[in-house]
Amino acid sequence: MGAHRNVTRGYADELRLFGTPLARTGLAALVVVFLVLPTVVQNDFWLSVLIYVGITAIGAIGLNLLTGYCGQISLGHAFFIGAGAYAAARVGGEIGLPLPLWLLAAAAIGAALGGLIGPFTLRLRGHYLAIVTLGLVFIGEHLWRNLTDLTGGNSGTPVTAGASIGPIDFNSLNLFGESYSRNQGWFWLVWGLVALVALLAKNLVRTRPGRALQAVRDRDQAAEVIGVRAGQYKIGAFMLSSAIAAMAGALFGSYQQFVSPDEWNLLLSIQYIAIVIVGGLGTIFGAVLGAIFVGALPALIDRYSEAIPGVQTSVGGEGFISVFALNQALFGLLIVLFLVFEPRGLAGIWLRIKAYFKAWPFSY
Amino acid sequence: MTAFLQNCFAGLSLGSTYALVALGFVVIFKSTGVINFAQGGLLALGAYLGYTFSNNLAVAFGVAVLLCCASAALVGATFERIVLRRMVGQPPFAVIMITIGLLFILEPMITAIWGFDQKQITNPWNIRTVEAGGLVFGVRDLWTIGLTAAVVAAFFVFFRYSSLGLAMRVTAFDPEAALAQGISARRVYATSWAIAAALAALAGILMAAGPGGLTPSIGFIALAAFPAMILGGMDSPAGAVLGGLVIGLAEALTRGYQDELFSWAGSNVSVIVPYLLMIVILLIRPYGLLGTKEVRRV
Amino acid sequence: MYAKRWRSWQYGLALAGAALLVAACGGAGDEGDTGGGQAGEPASGVGFDGTTIKLGVLSPLSGPIAVIGQPLTEGNKVWFDALNAKGGVAGKYKVELVQEDTQYKPDVTVQQYNKVKGEVVAFTQVLGTAPTLAVLPLLDSDNMLAAPASLDAFWVREQHLLPVGAPYQIQAINSMQHYLTEGGGNRQSRICTMVQDDVYGEAGQQGVDFAAEQLGFTVANTQKFKVGTENYAGQIGALAAARCEMVFLTATPTDAGKIWGTAAQARFAPKWYAQSPSFVNALAKSAVAPYLRQYVTIAAEGTEWGDTSVPGMKQMIDDVEKYAPQQQPDYYFAFGYNQARAMTAVLEKAVENGDLSRDGVMKASEQIGTLSFQGLTGDYTYGPAAKRNPPRSTTLFSVDPDKPFGLATLKYNFTSDAAKQFQFEKANP
Repeated sequence: MGAHRNVTRGYADELRLFGTPLARTGLAALVVVFLVLPTVVQNDFWLSVLIYVGITAIGAIGLNLLTGYCGQISLGHAFFIGAGAYAAARVGGEIGLPLPLWLLAAAAIGAALGGLIGPFTLRLRGHYLAIVTLGLVFIGEHLWRNLTDLTGGNSGTPVTAGASIGPIDFNSLNLFGESYSRNQGWFWLVWGLVALVALLAKNLVRTRPGRALQAVRDRDQAAEVIGVRAGQYKIGAFMLSSAIAAMAGALFGSYQQFVSPDEWNLLLSIQYIAIVIVGGLGTIFGAVLGAIFVGALPALIDRYSEAIPGVQTSVGGEGFISVFALNQALFGLLIVLFLVFEPRGLAGIWLRIKAYFKAWPFSY
Repeated sequence: MTAFLQNCFAGLSLGSTYALVALGFVVIFKSTGVINFAQGGLLALGAYLGYTFSNNLAVAFGVAVLLCCASAALVGATFERIVLRRMVGQPPFAVIMITIGLLFILEPMITAIWGFDQKQITNPWNIRTVEAGGLVFGVRDLWTIGLTAAVVAAFFVFFRYSSLGLAMRVTAFDPEAALAQGISARRVYATSWAIAAALAALAGILMAAGPGGLTPSIGFIALAAFPAMILGGMDSPAGAVLGGLVIGLAEALTRGYQDELFSWAGSNVSVIVPYLLMIVILLIRPYGLLGTKEVRRV
Repeated sequence: MYAKRWRSWQYGLALAGAALLVAACGGAGDEGDTGGGQAGEPASGVGFDGTTIKLGVLSPLSGPIAVIGQPLTEGNKVWFDALNAKGGVAGKYKVELVQEDTQYKPDVTVQQYNKVKGEVVAFTQVLGTAPTLAVLPLLDSDNMLAAPASLDAFWVREQHLLPVGAPYQIQAINSMQHYLTEGGGNRQSRICTMVQDDVYGEAGQQGVDFAAEQLGFTVANTQKFKVGTENYAGQIGALAAARCEMVFLTATPTDAGKIWGTAAQARFAPKWYAQSPSFVNALAKSAVAPYLRQYVTIAAEGTEWGDTSVPGMKQMIDDVEKYAPQQQPDYYFAFGYNQARAMTAVLEKAVENGDLSRDGVMKASEQIGTLSFQGLTGDYTYGPAAKRNPPRSTTLFSVDPDKPFGLATLKYNFTSDAAKQFQFEKANP
């Protein structure tokens, strides 16, 4: 009766997100993992690592829209993340609005700031843009340190934004007579939002605006010729990416409950770029994979550092290299190896494996 | 007036350091189209190698400077040979990321070998000063300015008149045409990395010989040299030197007149002045002061 | 085909439903604190297995602040090594440290806190103001005790923190008083400050401002600088232009070295008073040493390194020789050593109460009363957070390259009236 699962017979088929049985099973498995994982892994350390990874994944999806789909290199992501965190502190903590509202407020502030910076992309290209956005991180740090009323200045600010949606409070979740820890609640909240943002982003990139963005990325003047308003799309991509970054920052702040200006530095921006590249430029799935990889690997090394020879785990202990130093060196090495051997990133590896099985038994 | 001149001198000394680092950026960018984020790491490595030569091996300071530049050049060229050569033809963005990877490898290596604490390089300058016309000049600062001037002049002579320099210019202009003319792109790439690393090492050891001594965070200065490179134009060596001096002077003067003129903008405005200046200039000239305008075809 | 698609969705939904059921049985929210016997032997529980007490250390063991984190942790360790050799807490329970590297970053600190909180009784070190503020809400919700390794004034009023030593503000106030009475200054002198642009700098500035109000002088000029600045000529030039006769410096050693080097080059020679963390031994051996010797006074606590006439110092030197002979004289080492002493007092009390649970440790921390540090730092009156009274004394040192730590005592245990007046308040009220 039905055609082969891989046959596409129209535009609607092309647009299916989870068209094949394999994809549907995968989705079901992901949902199960999402629901069950926090109850199996109750350990606060691993949960908090996964929560940070989820928050980072949201920010990385935003950056990938800008860099991967629209081709604009930004080293200023940390600035927007910081802005979002302070928005959560003021709107969610001080004014006391509920979670959906402070998330939206952070997104709005992020979009507004992105809209201010966006016009620079019209005038600057490639490397010039990268370095100008790098400047944004430093100018931002100056602002965070001096706008004391807004940010608490150097001493930082507590973030007391609540985490409830209607009657459900993720800080102390109570479902079916069972009570859950803060970390369990936050795991569901954050990864639920990752799914939501990923879905929104996916829907964006497979429709007209998404194709327009990619046209701008590939050759902006050619895009203009075929009727894409490159300038508008560039600014739009900047605003959207900043809005998502600010949401990630708001979640970051309210999960950590305290933020200080030392956190929004260039290293954070570089980490996001690394995630997007290691994951795979121009794929939504890759941004999430990259975040898991870059966030969880240091935690793994940290947890099992005692077993690695030559690593110094305590002051005065054996070994010549500290855990952090090893982590950093490995991180650097992995970036180099990845780019040399698989420039398309983790998503590229995934696609290769998928293509192999799809075409089996033929290798091409 | 004395205060103004004194600030200008401080700016020139700082600007010379920026100029050295920025020139390294430009040399690599011009021939390979890559921004080298590892410049700060190479700078720190050079300075620490200088420390080892000067303190542990008790070599005379002048020789230590030459040795550390030479060994940093070797590291730079080796990295180009082993890693970056495989990346020819890949998107520039991926290559930039590789240099960031190199930076992440260099930093922990340096702290694993030399530790985190402050080192004092044995050197003849330290905090010695000379006085002239009511102004006080640090001997280290004078040497920094002098050596930078000499090295930059040597570089321009090399770039303009030597056959390798010509090869570098040709490759920068059109790599394929250069290859067709029998110019070895490999040699050009390796040479540019070696030159950039040596320049960084020189900047590093000059900084470490000052009053602050040597700590692993010495490489951060490269971040402030980015605006210098952009300001002058990314593909213009003369622009890098000009940009370095402008940024150094602007930073020192803002700092000097912070209380009188800039207190409304918060403390430490001088830290962000390089970036603000860069943005303003780019809005007027999107390819920097002396950069070449990119020709875009549909 | 549609039926088939629906079936597989049903399948998925069923799976999800089953997962929810599993999830519903996996709550960890009401995880209670075990242990807590009434009297006699403390029951084993989190971080205590009946013989060994585990304590957490959250410290930057790598990165730029590792120069502080490493000796400080070594200080913790040497104290507990010596204690364990004598049998341990209350003579029978050994102490073991669980060290985690925070890189001085708040988010990493939160992660590491979560990693080890399930295996420790308390934290004997959390280094840095921002990292401490980041874990503070978690300490409150877990009812956990931690000893902060920084001298911020707001720690005094936090019940989940166990600070030691006179806060930075006290050092600054005492320095001012010392300058006005014995340092050759008077109220008309041009007194200036140079502080780094962060919380630590603000603490010093707050102390000077308070002293200015109390002692009736005005601050003629204030220069702020960013950590890691390469060239200080501008700041030094501004201080010189303001004709400063005395400058109070709040910095860390790398920057302090550059600042004094630049000042020496510019022939700018006011009287410098500097907060304790500005100095390390290496400075006394660097090229700026002659300048430091002539113009710099360091405000710290306790006595000079190796002064065995002070009982606490004698004990510490003995312990260092025995358990960490490679340790160089270090201000931060002594700080870590003092922290461990305070934590030990709390543990002794908790064992006496027969309760090593988190609640028991918190209760014990309010009962230890006044604790003497044998002259290494001033006596600290603990108790409920609202009633704590930190030491108000400061020892002023001059730089002397011949001394083991490069510092010679100028004025031992100096307490000014202004310092006694200083009120402590909570962080972020």
